[in-house]
Amino acid sequence: MSGITRYPSFNVLDEKDAWDDHTQQIVTSRNQSIDKYQFLSEREAEILRSICSLLVDDSSPDALAFVISHIDKTLYSSPGEGQRKVGVPAASELIRQGLKAMEQSSQHMYSISFAELETVKQKNMLKDISEVKAEPSAIWNRVPQKALFEKLMRLTVESYCSHPQVWSDIGYAGPAYPRGYVRTQLGQLDPWEAKTENEA
Amino acid sequence: MKRKYANEEVDAVIVGAGAAGGVLAKELSEAGLSVVVLDAGPLRDPQKDFASDELSMKSLGWQDTRIVDGTDPLTMGHNNSGRGVGGGTVHFTAVFLRFQDVDFQGKTIDGIGEDWPISYEDLEPYYTRTEKDIAVSGPKHFPWGHYNGPYPYPEREPLSPNAYMFMNGCDKLGIRSSVAPLAILSAPFEGRPPCINRGFCNQGCMPDSKFSTLIVHIPKAIKAGAEVLPDCMVTQVLMGKDGLAKGVTFVHNGKPYEQKAKMVIISAFVVETPRLLLNSANEQFPDGLANSSGMVGKSIMVHSSNDVYAKFDDEIRLYKGTPVLATTLDFYRTDPKRDFVRGYTLHSHGARPVEFANGVSKAQGGPIWGERFRQALLDYNHYGRVTLVGEVMPNMNNRVTLADEKDEYGLPRAKVTFSYGENDRKLIKHAERTMSSILEAEGGKVEFVVPDTAHMAGGCRMGNNPADSVVNSYGQSHDIPNLYVCDASIFVTSGAGNPTNTVMSLALRTAEYIVEKMKKRELQTSRG
Repeated sequence: MSGITRYPSFNVLDEKDAWDDHTQQIVTSRNQSIDKYQFLSEREAEILRSICSLLVDDSSPDALAFVISHIDKTLYSSPGEGQRKVGVPAASELIRQGLKAMEQSSQHMYSISFAELETVKQKNMLKDISEVKAEPSAIWNRVPQKALFEKLMRLTVESYCSHPQVWSDIGYAGPAYPRGYVRTQLGQLDPWEAKTENEA
Repeated sequence: MKRKYANEEVDAVIVGAGAAGGVLAKELSEAGLSVVVLDAGPLRDPQKDFASDELSMKSLGWQDTRIVDGTDPLTMGHNNSGRGVGGGTVHFTAVFLRFQDVDFQGKTIDGIGEDWPISYEDLEPYYTRTEKDIAVSGPKHFPWGHYNGPYPYPEREPLSPNAYMFMNGCDKLGIRSSVAPLAILSAPFEGRPPCINRGFCNQGCMPDSKFSTLIVHIPKAIKAGAEVLPDCMVTQVLMGKDGLAKGVTFVHNGKPYEQKAKMVIISAFVVETPRLLLNSANEQFPDGLANSSGMVGKSIMVHSSNDVYAKFDDEIRLYKGTPVLATTLDFYRTDPKRDFVRGYTLHSHGARPVEFANGVSKAQGGPIWGERFRQALLDYNHYGRVTLVGEVMPNMNNRVTLADEKDEYGLPRAKVTFSYGENDRKLIKHAERTMSSILEAEGGKVEFVVPDTAHMAGGCRMGNNPADSVVNSYGQSHDIPNLYVCDASIFVTSGAGNPTNTVMSLALRTAEYIVEKMKKRELQTSRG
């Protein structure tokens, strides 16, 4: 993990009692471990964990566990994707095909599973996918790489950035109901907000 | 399901309880009409169902999949379409601007684009009433357009750090800026408290300080006798053999129902309104209802809404306070010195982590991921943002059609095709330079420019000529006189600012027209 937090002693959950019940319940549940996946196989979850960790450049197990659980839930059942580009398969199909293609590419090129590949090689494959350059074409010609990368990124980012540990790392004071934010001039802080300890 | 009018014909059935549907429901029921409002989504309780959380509140958007196409395929869902009673007003930023003369008469004034069949003056009294009805807060003097204040309620105070940064930057460049007029209370009104700068306008306002039709108009409509049925997806407009509308069919919990009505009003927004008209095609109207012009679904617009993020040495903290608190309309109107026509509004625009990170990841030159993404996130508190609301010119090729794929109700999904035109792209470039210069004037270093869109309009445009428009200026279909469309789909052009005030003011005007027609017994109804 590159970079360090400016707010090492800030824990957003220290303030959770000041939040409304509904928000408390939603946010604290993100720290609970998941028992079983509904859509993903164990193998798929393992590959996804490597991918998501690289996408956000963070290997904290708690945040990643929530990311994988969110992706699993979304692919198992969701009200919809909002939008899907013409010709792109539904998210569950897109991710499943994509993970399969990544695994096959890894086996084809290095004769080992993607999850066991050296980080630099995993990164290179992700970079190729993001640039629509992943090969061999026999494996990739039916997978829309740009759509795959975007979907993986979106699902990862929306859940990763919803985990309270990440909120603490970035100094996001977050939920503020019913108390609100009071001191909002430039440079002002409410007493319970994160204070800078490290200058980056 | 318990229903008030199960076997009765009501005066009006309204499809969609959003910005327009909410206003119509209140106005028509208070005028004594029997009204049923059907909404595809839930009826939420802000105290129990909202949360200070971006991920869980994505559900305020219309998440049902739309197929997107074109050279600039749109991001839908929470980005531009609401779901549930209150519609988009539940998650909008509550910026409450009026359109200007040029937004209605662009062709006449600038010689390009299209004219609306009404002018600013026609809508002015309705703007005034809408703003008063919900106690819009705003400055004593607003420097642009035809209404310069004072607003019904005082401007918001204090603002947010990002808004102060923005106004300071504008000052240094000689750009005029102002506290934004907002449908957010600055003092108590009708039992609702003033805003506490919590910042989650897009996730649903928990203190009820921000207006939505969910908490303002719908309760008043119910009090006046309207029946509001949530979780009811309208699947078809029922037509009589005489070519008039008879009511609608809808699905609730998997079961089909009917509601008979003397008039049908569709307020389902820019995608679902054309989709319902097209999905209601029958022998008499094989190309869809109200579509003799062929214009249903055509000429949809968005606002270009690119974001510029700059990094500052000092903290800004984008999460603090109402997302949009300061604005400039200095670039709103056509300037012959520029290489494009029309213009734009710029807002100081806060962001919580998911929105910030999603934006960064799809910034120009991206995708941004891995180390650079992580570093941006760790620097989150040092970022400031300015956002564009740019006019997009109408283009017939941008449209809503029916896809082959079906949804859970067995109805063809909407296909939404969108591509920017040359004028749109030049405008965006210009705005990106202006936004960057404002941020740089305050010492920011521009790091991410994010392509994005906001709002939608068009697809059932109004006009005087039935050959090239779907409805008249009151939203009444040229083809089917007891079928109305009332939402942003009847816009002829997109305007260069946030549209909700215009949507609601048009709805007030339509409501007045309908009540007048009822009184004079001029309403044609189907005889079967």
